[in-house]
Amino acid sequence: MGFDLQFGWTGTVSEVVLGRTRAEGGTRSVSYRIGGGTTLPFLDTDRPSPSPLIAFECCDNPRIWSTIVRDYCGDLVNDPAEWAKTAETVYGADMVRLNLTSTKERNFSDVAALKKTVESVLSATTLPLIIEGSNEPKIDSEVFLACGEAGQGERLLLGTAEASRYRSIAAAALAYDHSVIAQSPIDINLAKQLNILLREIGVARDHIIIDPYTGALGYGFEYSFSAMERIRFSALKGDADLAMPMCCAPADSLTIKEVRDAPADARDEMAVQWEVYTSIAAAVAGAEIICVRHPRSVGVLKEAFAGLKSHSHSRTAEVR
Amino acid sequence: MRTVTFLPSYRKIEVARGSTILDAAQRAGMNINVVCGGQGKCGKCIVYVQVGKTEFDRQKYLQFFTEEELARGACLACETTIQGDLQVVIPESTLIQEQKILIEGKETEIEFRPAVKKYYVTLQPPTLTDPSPDLTRLLWGIQKSGGPVAEKIYVPLEVMREIPALLRHSDWKVSGTIALVPGGYRLIDLQENDTSKRIYGAAVDLGSTTVVAYLWDLVTGKVAGVASNYNKQISCGEDILARVNFARKNGLSKLQSLATDSINAALTSASNTAGIDREDIYEVVVAGNTVMTHMLLGIDPAYIIAEPYVPVVQRALSVAAARIGIAANRNCGLFVFPAVSDFIGGDIIADILACGMGERQEISLLIDIGTNFEVVLGNNEWMFSCAGAAGPALEGGEVLFGMRANPGAIEKVTIDPFTLNPTWGTINNIKPRGITGSGLIDTLAELISACVIDRTGRINTGIDNPRVRKGAHFPEFVVAWARETDIGKDIVITENDIKNLIMSKASIHAACVTLMKEAGVTRHDITTIYFAGAFGNYLNKKNATIIGMIPETDIDRIKNIGNGAVTGANIALINRRERKVLDAIAGKIAYIELNAEPSFMDDYTSSTFLPHTDLSLFPMVQALLESCRLRKGSG
Repeated sequence: MGFDLQFGWTGTVSEVVLGRTRAEGGTRSVSYRIGGGTTLPFLDTDRPSPSPLIAFECCDNPRIWSTIVRDYCGDLVNDPAEWAKTAETVYGADMVRLNLTSTKERNFSDVAALKKTVESVLSATTLPLIIEGSNEPKIDSEVFLACGEAGQGERLLLGTAEASRYRSIAAAALAYDHSVIAQSPIDINLAKQLNILLREIGVARDHIIIDPYTGALGYGFEYSFSAMERIRFSALKGDADLAMPMCCAPADSLTIKEVRDAPADARDEMAVQWEVYTSIAAAVAGAEIICVRHPRSVGVLKEAFAGLKSHSHSRTAEVR
Repeated sequence: MRTVTFLPSYRKIEVARGSTILDAAQRAGMNINVVCGGQGKCGKCIVYVQVGKTEFDRQKYLQFFTEEELARGACLACETTIQGDLQVVIPESTLIQEQKILIEGKETEIEFRPAVKKYYVTLQPPTLTDPSPDLTRLLWGIQKSGGPVAEKIYVPLEVMREIPALLRHSDWKVSGTIALVPGGYRLIDLQENDTSKRIYGAAVDLGSTTVVAYLWDLVTGKVAGVASNYNKQISCGEDILARVNFARKNGLSKLQSLATDSINAALTSASNTAGIDREDIYEVVVAGNTVMTHMLLGIDPAYIIAEPYVPVVQRALSVAAARIGIAANRNCGLFVFPAVSDFIGGDIIADILACGMGERQEISLLIDIGTNFEVVLGNNEWMFSCAGAAGPALEGGEVLFGMRANPGAIEKVTIDPFTLNPTWGTINNIKPRGITGSGLIDTLAELISACVIDRTGRINTGIDNPRVRKGAHFPEFVVAWARETDIGKDIVITENDIKNLIMSKASIHAACVTLMKEAGVTRHDITTIYFAGAFGNYLNKKNATIIGMIPETDIDRIKNIGNGAVTGANIALINRRERKVLDAIAGKIAYIELNAEPSFMDDYTSSTFLPHTDLSLFPMVQALLESCRLRKGSG
């Protein structure tokens, strides 16, 4: 006996396009159309759910980046273009998320350099890009416009809009036809409010990805999971203002006590495991994009997602 | 000791070194505006020290001062300690001013059946053939004049002692006052000659901020005088919590006498207006919140504010007014409305009596907004209630230019969506000094309609208009330019003010939603929404709906009952039978503790949006705002 997996849901998660191929007017080798789900992921249903996309996170200034990742990647961390290329060719990521950490330096003003960085990463990798801009109100307008312009035609995913600052990122997304990550602090109502705010200044629903904020497993992820569940249930029940794909970045898992206190020879493994398990939990909660920072996490997750899918398929076969 | 002289009145007071200027001012009888109870949180008690040595950490409170005020050496009275002899200027804006108070009750046709009645009797003197005792003779006379059966009238000893001399001195012509108290009939007063036309009763709303008294002629059934004044307990703390804490520190007797003083002041001025003697007031009916009535009766309120929040008494009480110092006839009775819980007090029971929601099958929602808010949902069979802190924003606290409903307060605002020029009306039509709660609600509704703020209340600083500006600490919108005001500075509403207002309206709306869920009703099931409280009468119903303070309904189904507490007290005073249902109403109301409701925080967060995160709950507002946005877009 199987479970009745018909819940009477009528809603569909809206579809969002990431990246543009040459045929579509961009230069990416691939573009993704994510979302479209009508039920929860990894269930025994006729329509198998696609695996979440795995984005590898790199940055343009590694000073504040995890030492574990820096040690693992070596000199690559000083060359965002080369690093992004490696993510595609060696790590096997589906996307690259470029964090413009240089903007966090005090008195940062070199917006022209940012534009160059974005351009060099775009030419080094053929994968669709997520660009994480500044969160400094004084410069974010300029930063987002520069990134948006550099990636014109590539349908970037720009991050991160919050309720307290969403106008400049939305302006860049609207001007250059990019999508936006909308982050709210683990709360379904605040997530919905931000989506409405974005919609009201002109960002279409199919250009928004929800980031519910991802705590590390054991460090608040249960709240994230519950918020994600509620968001997805609302979407499936027909709330269009919550029916966006979700993006999770369990970056916090690299800095937790268990990783910091692990013996030197086990630290790397501990970091990968924690990042992977948090990511799997996020995928089960419904995330369509998972952003990881440890290169090894990419491969482990690919395997895990394939396993989840094949498992659900085989179960389906048994039931029949 | 240090001498402090307050200017411009030149009032002097001696205080110990190290006292605060606020202490000294209160002792000198200056009514300083202390919204936060003197904790350095509201920034309303600005004074200027002209001469003398003080200690004040100005850096810590910079946010409360304008450049100009800083240049003149402004400090906060509550946070400034006195070191030497001082001369202190108290600007007018720092003093509590005469308040506009609702005195119109609801026009209700109520049967006139007061609990006290005076009978003029002419008795036959006793003779050897008719030697019945004085008391029998008197009571029989009263019975014959239409009073209650003689044997059923209880006569207290102090009245009994006066009977023989009074009867003989008056040549057997006396007026006796009979009161119907819970124990039965009682002869509470005896006077020489015919004074039967001189019998009055008072209905009092004892609010934590204001006291309103209606004086009724209990012969004609007409209002003889009305008066109101501040609750003098304000000097012991602005909010209820501060006052209960004051009571805990051996302050109960002071609070008790201040409550009585406040009522007496109102009775005195109403009596003076009516030209009557307070001695002719034979009954006082008081409706007040639970803490207020506890304090008035000198009952320790300390346990009400701590878990598990238990009042000492819930039922209606009848006591001798003189025992708590009410200045009326020495045998005047006092009837105090029953309470439900810590936060649902006699004032709410009075609201329910006033709006009549407890008599009808149709479901009503009652919202009383004052220092706190209370919500009651129900009909003649069931009722749910809850209460919460509306936050001081709606009463002018925690809002930069917020003020109470005093003269000069902007109480109505409209804003042209294109020029963004506001049109406002102030209380008494004088130049504006600040904005009061109803004006703040109007401003918020108009700003969202004009697309100046987004649905979270954030000001779009990208708008090119001199009224929209970045501000010193927060983005702000200029409601009145300095030259138009009475205070010489721009009156603005800041993003932070808006945030506080949204928190206030969200808690009220979430409270309504919590009760509706508890009762299993939707907004469509609610026939009437009643607004009570001084605030309610000036409230723009449409704007209250636009900002999502109340569930959306047809505007004509929203009714302002104004000061329902005093209306309810009036009803209970002039018809004693109405009192009988009060304990039953109080007993019927289920109290929902919002803090204990798991869904409350969720409902609150979803209400922190204009009008609400779930726009389908506000279809009319949503359509209105959409059309405003479209009009702006095309214009």
